[in-house]
Formats: sequence, C-alpha cells, structure tokens
Amino acid sequence: MSAAVNKKPFDLGRTAYLGLNLVLLAFLLVPIAIVLVFALNPTPYISFPPVGVSLRWFVKFFEGGDFMRALWLSLWVAACVLVLSVVIGGACALALARGNLPGRAFLTAFFMSPLMLPAILTGLALFQAYLLAGIGRPVWGLIMAHTLVAVPYVLRTTLAVLHNFDRRIEEAASVLGASPTRVFFEVTLPLIRPGVFAGGVFAFIVSFDQFPVSLFLVVPKGETLPVVLFNYMKFDLDGAIAAASMVSILLALAVVVALERLIGLKAYVKL
Amino acid sequence: MTSASIKLESVTKSFDGKVVAVDGVTLEIKAGEFFSLLGPSGCGKTTSLRMIAGFESPDSGRVHVGGQDITDVPVHHRDMGMVFQSYALFPHRTVAENVAFGLRMRGVSRSEIDRRVAAALAQVALTGFEHRRPAQLSGGQQQRVALARAIVIEPRVLLCDEPLGALDRKLRQQMQFELKELQQRLGVTLVFVTHDQEEALAMSDRIAVMNRGKVEQVGSPTEIYERPRTRFVADFIGEINLLDDGSKPRALRPEKIRLVPTAQARLAGTVETANFLGGATLYRVSAGGRTYLARETHSGERSPRAAGDAVGLAWNDTDIVTLES
Repeated sequence: MSAAVNKKPFDLGRTAYLGLNLVLLAFLLVPIAIVLVFALNPTPYISFPPVGVSLRWFVKFFEGGDFMRALWLSLWVAACVLVLSVVIGGACALALARGNLPGRAFLTAFFMSPLMLPAILTGLALFQAYLLAGIGRPVWGLIMAHTLVAVPYVLRTTLAVLHNFDRRIEEAASVLGASPTRVFFEVTLPLIRPGVFAGGVFAFIVSFDQFPVSLFLVVPKGETLPVVLFNYMKFDLDGAIAAASMVSILLALAVVVALERLIGLKAYVKL
Repeated sequence: MTSASIKLESVTKSFDGKVVAVDGVTLEIKAGEFFSLLGPSGCGKTTSLRMIAGFESPDSGRVHVGGQDITDVPVHHRDMGMVFQSYALFPHRTVAENVAFGLRMRGVSRSEIDRRVAAALAQVALTGFEHRRPAQLSGGQQQRVALARAIVIEPRVLLCDEPLGALDRKLRQQMQFELKELQQRLGVTLVFVTHDQEEALAMSDRIAVMNRGKVEQVGSPTEIYERPRTRFVADFIGEINLLDDGSKPRALRPEKIRLVPTAQARLAGTVETANFLGGATLYRVSAGGRTYLARETHSGERSPRAAGDAVGLAWNDTDIVTLES
C-alpha cells in the first residue's frame, strides 16, 4: 500500500498548498504553545528552555485575590456584553436589512464605525464623555463601552445571514395564518439565530479580551483581567501571567464549544 | 372542501410610484376553477397573484373572494393556500411540522393535527417522510410537501406561483397531472401563475393571457389557441403565421397549412428548413416573398421533405383568425 502511495507523482501545487497551511497554522498556534510552556515552567522568571513542569503559577493565579476578582468581573462584563450586543446588533441588522430606512448605507457604516477607530481612541473618548456627563466609571459604563465595540461583530454576522434569507419562507408562514409576531418567533428568529449567536461569540471574546477601552474606564480594585495582567507585568514578569493567559484561552474556547453545542454554529458556517 | 370565487375589480398596482405592474385588471374566477395567469416575465401575473394573497395591496381597485371584499384583510386572515416556486419550506422543521404549521396557527388540537397531516401527506404520496427535513428531499418531494402544507388547512383558494418552474421537464409533466388531479379531487379554486404556455394549455379550465400589466384575453385553452384575439396572444401561444396583407392583421396556425403538390396550391414555395419534432415536422417555407410555418403530422406514407424541395401551400379561409389591430 505504501508503495502505491509512493508511486503517486509529486504534485508541487498540492505540496505548496499544504505547506502554506502548515506555516499559517504554526503561526497561529506556536505562540499559544509558548505560553503553555512558560505557564508550566517553575522558574520564577520567564526563561527558555524550561527546566521542569509545575502548576505553581496556576496556583498563584487562582489564589491571587486581585486575579480572581478581575476574572469574575471580566466574565460578568463579557456575559452582559454578549446579551446586549446580540439584542442590539440583531435588532439593528433586521432594521437595516428589512426596514425601508433612508440612508441605509450610511447607517450601516455608522454602526460599523467602532471597528474602524483605534480602540484606544474609543476608550479615551468615552472616558472624557463619561467625565463630562458626570457618570464616573461604573461597571455599567464599562459594559456599555464594550457593547459599543462588540455590536459591529453581531451586526455583520446577522446581516450576512439576512442577505441569504428567502423571504418567501416568511410569506409562506403568514399565508398559513401566522401573524407578523408569530412569523418573527416561529420563522425569522430560528433562521437567523446561528448568525446572531456567531456574532455573540465574537462579542464575548472582544469584551473578555478588551484592553485599550477598559484601560480608561476601570477604577482601582475594579479592573478587568487584561488590565490587571498589564499592571502585574509592569512589576513582575513570571509564569502567573502565562497561567492567566492559558485560563483566558481555555475559557474563551469553552464558550465557543458551549455555544456550538447549544445552537450549532456549524449551521452558520454552511451558509 | 368549500371553494370560493375570486373577483379582481379594476385592480392597479405600481411600484416606486412609476413602474405600473398591474394596470386596471378585472377578472372573475369561478369557484372550483383551475385558472391560469399566463404571460411573459414582467407582465403582472405574479403581482396579481400576490394581491389576491394579500402580500401586495392594490393602489386602486378591489379584490373579492367568495363575494366578500377582502382588499383590506391582512394576509394571515385570508385563509388561502399558496405554493411558491422556491417551495419556501421551513428548513428548520420536519416535513410533518411544515405541514402542521397552518393547523397549529389555527389552534387545531394535537390529535386533529396528526390526523390531518397524515391525510394531507397521503394525498401527495409522501407517507413515511414525516420526520425528514426539507434538505433531505428531492425537488419534486419538496414541491409535494409545499402542496400538502397548502391544502391541509382546507383553503377556499389555492394560489400557485410557478410551482413547477424549478423541476426538470419529465418531473414537471408528471406534477402537472398530479396537480390537476388533486385540484379536481378537492374541488378547490386554483389560481396558477406560469410563463409556460404549454403548461397553461394542458392544465387550465380557463386562462387569462397578460401582457404589460393588462389582460389581453380570457378564455378556455381551446379558445385562446384557436381564436386568439390579439396579435400578442396569437404570437405568445404556440407558433403562428401573421398575415399582414389586409387592413387588419390575420393569423393562421402552422398545422392549418397543408403541404400539397404545387399544382393544387394557393402558393408555391421552397422548403427552407425542416425541423423534425418526433410526431410531426415543422417546416419553414419561403413563398410569395415571405416565410410561412407549416406543421405536418406524420402519416407514415409520405417521406418528409428536405430543404430546397419545391412545395405548394394550401389552407381554408375559415381557419384564418382576424386579430384586433
């Protein structure tokens, strides 16, 4: 059998294609592997090659009060952002795709604009706006700021689904006796849900990973995880940072897998 | 199943305030009739159907069903069945759930739904497919589900928007028979939109031929074919010879022209092309400075003529139809 495989003529195109993909995959995954190596290396500073395997940095991370408080805050904020951006982005996409709105192209660009601005500017601008409005820096302000940056992701995935949506399906439902409200809940919503939730996953990750916007809007002892990690790194550069990164990565992965199981993102990918 | 008559009363609809899609259409469709709206794309047939369904509301004019003015009744209260060209099945629901949808909207009890869904699926020969998803069915099967979903609510009127357009020729023919048979069995009023004249001729009790938003002629398939009233109808349905020799245009069907020896002919000419059609041959004959189409059914005795042969043309004057100018 191996002889048969060996006899296959050498296909340069295919080999180059596979090679390129391997390089790209390595480019994406090697940094994660490096973080893992550092997280497991017991030396009190980041060094290479590793001298052993230990969970001491994970212990430090999970026992650090600041880390834990920040982790829970980040999760809480990201969860709120997920819900808010799904509702706002979904509704927004429906209005843009369906409504007979004047200046639709302009409105779409407007809602997408947080993606074009450097996040650090968005953070600074919001900080000043909150200050001027006398709001201060409450957690809900932070949630709003993250939502602002996350909505475009939901908007984009939902618009993509709506673009391929056969409206005759809705008409079929209404001619069969479904009122507009029932058409929405029985047909429209179930059919756009994969797109909305795919956007929701992005929204969660954007919020959970958010650093530049958060930097301006958190208060001492009320920082999100990325901000705490940044502050920590200014003074200590040990494996706790790597361990925290691993925890972040695993949490984000868990959210994606959970949503896939619950809603089936595969259906969205097929569209 | 009770069926209802439909009446369109000088119905007009334009889009974006400029393109007039339907222009003062008046139609009376009898209860239990198989009625086709036939015409080229953009003639207003689909817009007319959509106004009967309630997806579009007319700019002026009224729509009556079963003697009641329903112009302002919303779609979901009209009690109609509709079949779309794209089938428009609910992709996230099973076959049984698709068919049950209309009954569920009407608050029919669970056991009654099960009974009627089973009966409707039996009507379209899809028993056993209850738990499939639309994506797991062939085009013909999906069309049958769409049909079952539409008839299960026992509508007074069944609207079909080019329902067979996406099927291949063989399957389309089979579905034509099935649909016609189903319509007769149920006795439902069926409005059928198509651009395929053969399909309309084959299935309909009556046909309205539409062009540029207006109804050109309403009549039985025989009337439409044998006695076209306008040049458009004559030209759109089948092949036709248009004779513009008098004050009014006149038309003559190719099968009414006989190919005879030149001595007995009205006109002597030469065969330009001979298209073998299986049961017949369609000739293009140049004679008297123009081209005639003549269709000859094969009798088996005469060998078909070839291009270049000299032939004579003959016809009866009674077969000539005078058209409105």
